[in-house]
Amino acid sequence: MIDAPLDEKRKQQMIDALSRVVGKKSILYRYEDVMAYECDGYTIHKGLPAAVVFPSNTEEVAAIVSYLHQQQIPFIPRGAGTGLSGGATALNGEVIISLVRMNKLLHVDYDNRRAVVQPGYINLKLSNSIASKGYYYAPDPSSQATCTIGGNVGENAGGAHCLKYGVTTNHVLGLEVVLPNGQIRRFGGTLDTPGYDVLGLLTGSEGTLAIVTEITVRILKKPQEVSTVLALFDKVTDASQAASDIIACGIIPAALEMMDAMAIHGVESGNYPVGYPKDLAAVLIIEVDGIAAGLQEQIEEIMQVCKNHHVREVRKAKDAAERARWWANRKTAFGAMGTISPDYLVQDGVIPRSKLPEVLERIGQISKQYGLRIANVFHAGDGNLHPLILFDSRVEGETERAVEAGSAVLKACADAGGSITGEHGVGVEKMEDMRFIFNDIEIEAQMQLRDVFNPNSLCNPHKMFPKPARCVEMKRLSREVPAVNI
Amino acid sequence: MVKTSNLSSFLWEDAPDENKFSECVHCGMCLEACPTYQETGLEHHSPRGRVYLIKSAAEGKLQLNNYFKEPIDSCLACRACETACPSGVQVGALIEETRGQLYHATPAKGAGRVVQKLFLRDIFPSPKRMQLLGKMTRLYQKSGLQRSARKLKLLRVLPAHLQEMEAALPKLKTSPLLGRGGELYSAYGEKRATVAMITGCVMDVVYSDVNEATLNVLRRNGCDVWIPKAQKCCGALHLHAGDREQAKQLAKHNIDVFLSNEVDAIIINAAGCGSTLKEYDELLKNDVRYAERSHLFAEKTKDVSEFLVDLGLIAPKGKLDMKVTYHDACHLAHAQGIRQAPREILEMIPGLVVEAMPDSDRCCGSAGIYNITQPEMASQLLDRKMNDIPSGCDAVAMGNPGCMMQFQVGVVKHHRSEQIVHTIQLLNDAYEREDSDGGMPT
Ligand SMILES: Cc1cc2nc3c(=O)[nH]c(=O)nc-3n(C[C@H](O)[C@H](O)[C@H](O)COP(=O)(O)OP(=O)(O)OC[C@H]3O[C@@H](n4cnc5c(N)ncnc54)[C@H](O)[C@@H]3O)c2cc1C
Ligand code: SF4
Ligand code: SF4
Repeated sequence: MIDAPLDEKRKQQMIDALSRVVGKKSILYRYEDVMAYECDGYTIHKGLPAAVVFPSNTEEVAAIVSYLHQQQIPFIPRGAGTGLSGGATALNGEVIISLVRMNKLLHVDYDNRRAVVQPGYINLKLSNSIASKGYYYAPDPSSQATCTIGGNVGENAGGAHCLKYGVTTNHVLGLEVVLPNGQIRRFGGTLDTPGYDVLGLLTGSEGTLAIVTEITVRILKKPQEVSTVLALFDKVTDASQAASDIIACGIIPAALEMMDAMAIHGVESGNYPVGYPKDLAAVLIIEVDGIAAGLQEQIEEIMQVCKNHHVREVRKAKDAAERARWWANRKTAFGAMGTISPDYLVQDGVIPRSKLPEVLERIGQISKQYGLRIANVFHAGDGNLHPLILFDSRVEGETERAVEAGSAVLKACADAGGSITGEHGVGVEKMEDMRFIFNDIEIEAQMQLRDVFNPNSLCNPHKMFPKPARCVEMKRLSREVPAVNI
Repeated sequence: MVKTSNLSSFLWEDAPDENKFSECVHCGMCLEACPTYQETGLEHHSPRGRVYLIKSAAEGKLQLNNYFKEPIDSCLACRACETACPSGVQVGALIEETRGQLYHATPAKGAGRVVQKLFLRDIFPSPKRMQLLGKMTRLYQKSGLQRSARKLKLLRVLPAHLQEMEAALPKLKTSPLLGRGGELYSAYGEKRATVAMITGCVMDVVYSDVNEATLNVLRRNGCDVWIPKAQKCCGALHLHAGDREQAKQLAKHNIDVFLSNEVDAIIINAAGCGSTLKEYDELLKNDVRYAERSHLFAEKTKDVSEFLVDLGLIAPKGKLDMKVTYHDACHLAHAQGIRQAPREILEMIPGLVVEAMPDSDRCCGSAGIYNITQPEMASQLLDRKMNDIPSGCDAVAMGNPGCMMQFQVGVVKHHRSEQIVHTIQLLNDAYEREDSDGGMPT
């Protein structure tokens, strides 16, 4: 693999060759034109790609990859670039293969509740285009209005409503991929294919195993009724205890979300304020859905639990418009941080629900220790915590401090028996943090698995696994990994 | 300590404001709201990408050359991104400031320069010359010159998009309102407010009938209307083109003129002008002498639809048996946040059936002079817009002359039959129908 920027001559040859595949209008390589591709939603690490190519079908992807494989030039698949761990960033001048122009809904099979999409198709567009028939696509990352389903597969994206319905991997029924050597393969497609769960392996592989070129997803019938409760608390511990108790009493909410005071300050300064009282410590948004009968009882039970925990105010959304306002506020939480801080680093820890109060306290200490504000947004239902570390990259040394604080937060999550990522992936950001949960042998085992698909790590290199600090990766570099036919 | 970059490529006055671009956290929530990103999928032709380029230039990582200019030029300034952005990044203002820098760094050359100078510096700032242009156009249409030119196929020398525009140019029926009669018009019936009216330049030359309708509607709703003859172009087109200096001159002139009398509101019926007028305080923020007055001016400026709804519209009784759909002009919906008022007005017209247009707030591609400078993108957006008009509509209503011209081009190009109207025209028609059904207004 060529692991250094290409020299001018080879770069020109490559551009000529790729232009022959996609046409001159579908490739960028000028400095000014690729500048905007320097990073994705994670802005701490940056790098300019040698070129950005825009294939419009699977065959073009295969032809591009075949050429790059033959030349041993590394490449990276990219969707909308909303990823939060740098997965789509070209750290070493790789070629970016952008899937945004493969953005069609190919087929909807209502009888079998399936839809087939191209990888650049936008998540929310799927739900919108099947809504009139009473269907929707369940995984709903907050970025759903702009992120691609290909990127969702890449990161195994989750969302507020994944508590009850499961994350992306629970909704992928089939994949067509282009392997890093340019071959086209299909996996799954029918329910319960025998053999290994290759779909499960590919989903969440962050573009390090193959490029997804077509996805068959499950679609669901919209629930008969939806009801949403908003609960305002004066103490974070009360809110987290209430969240725990709601689940403990046997209710499975469609969503159970929490924001702390700093997060509330952010969303209220943003474009979609709800009008929360200024002195609030935490807010819970609890949503239940299903058949209309019985929903009201669940709502009453939830309100009772909140009251047991000294809730200041708890009420049900009076109509769809109010419910939409609460969600718009919550779903724009990350972006809204821009109004209270020039930069943020969002963490993605997972912890056992019951450990929430103590982990939040630890995060409070980390915030003081590093002198940086931290806002907490939390998928409380499944223990997925998003501390947003607020910093200003223009201030000398603050970026480094934010990164260290982020790492400390993840350590706290791992120590509490949790994990370092729930849905945003490892990317470049958390490579080293992988050591918090895996030892060398476990990491090496995963790298061997990667080699089966991606022998020379041509596809999205230098991501997901810690740098070769030890002999393991050194050894790997010295031996050529044979290409395997899958 | 904050390192302010002294390497910035922005060397002229009014450089893009660091506070504005540092608010962007690169989240990408704006991507799919952007018409040019939807069409191309190119990050540098998206709001996030454009802001990133502006930031990079401020850090000295990019020079202000033609490659940098291209994505800045291709921005429609439609501000759909501002509606989508959770962080409230003012992309529109950043783009305008950047264009101001590019105006100095990459001056237009050749024919482009002549056109720019002629229109932006000589014609638009002068109401007299605008009116002359209108007169010439009317002459061109009436004298048979238009017919002969079309017959002799002389127009083929023009690029395709200009031919389309020529074909769609509405018949200029009446002469401009400004300077036609006196300056003062009194309310019909009980007086409820005193307002000043801005006639707009394109509006008054191409659509003076819309201005007549606006004047009439205001009077019917109890307004004394003052149309100062000394008013000039609002400067919106200059701002879009980066000519901030001329825009500021015009702004100061208009502030002096309109604040010389006490009025309750300053009324505009062109969304593009409206959003510029409401942002005079932003334009003049570095001018201490105008700080307070530009703010007052901005506060008093109201789009005619929002003003009427706030005042309490007198319901028309005349019936209009037609089906219409409504298009949200970008500078009304995204820049001024006015979506409900025009719809409320339409709902109040008896007999009128209003059918929703899907994605009604996606830009039609008109965007000031965008359809002249970026014909390819403008025409793609227009085609999409035309396909979105629900079938069976008699008319499409909107609140901006630029959009009206663009729709007119679309109607001709796609061989369609819808009438293109300003919302206020329908309201005025309903009032007039009421009069013909029962007596004149008192
Ligand atoms: C404001 C905001 C809110 C967010 N909220 C959530 C949330 O609630 N839940 C959540 O899970 N995430 C969330 N995210 C993160 C992000 O939106 C998701 O990870 C999303 O799935 C990324 O999709 P994308 O199209 O932007 O992919 P990219 O960022 O372009 O790519 C993501 C990764 O997938 C790989 N990839 C992309 N396309 C393909 C393909 N076709 N084949 C193979 N690999 C591919 C890339 O190489 C990269 O490693 C949020 C991000 C932002 C900015
Ligand atoms: S103003 Fe319109 S065209 Fe320009 S970046 Fe924003 S959405 Fe895109
Ligand atoms: S939505 Fe706003 S903050 Fe997010 S990338 Fe776009 S402009 Fe920046």
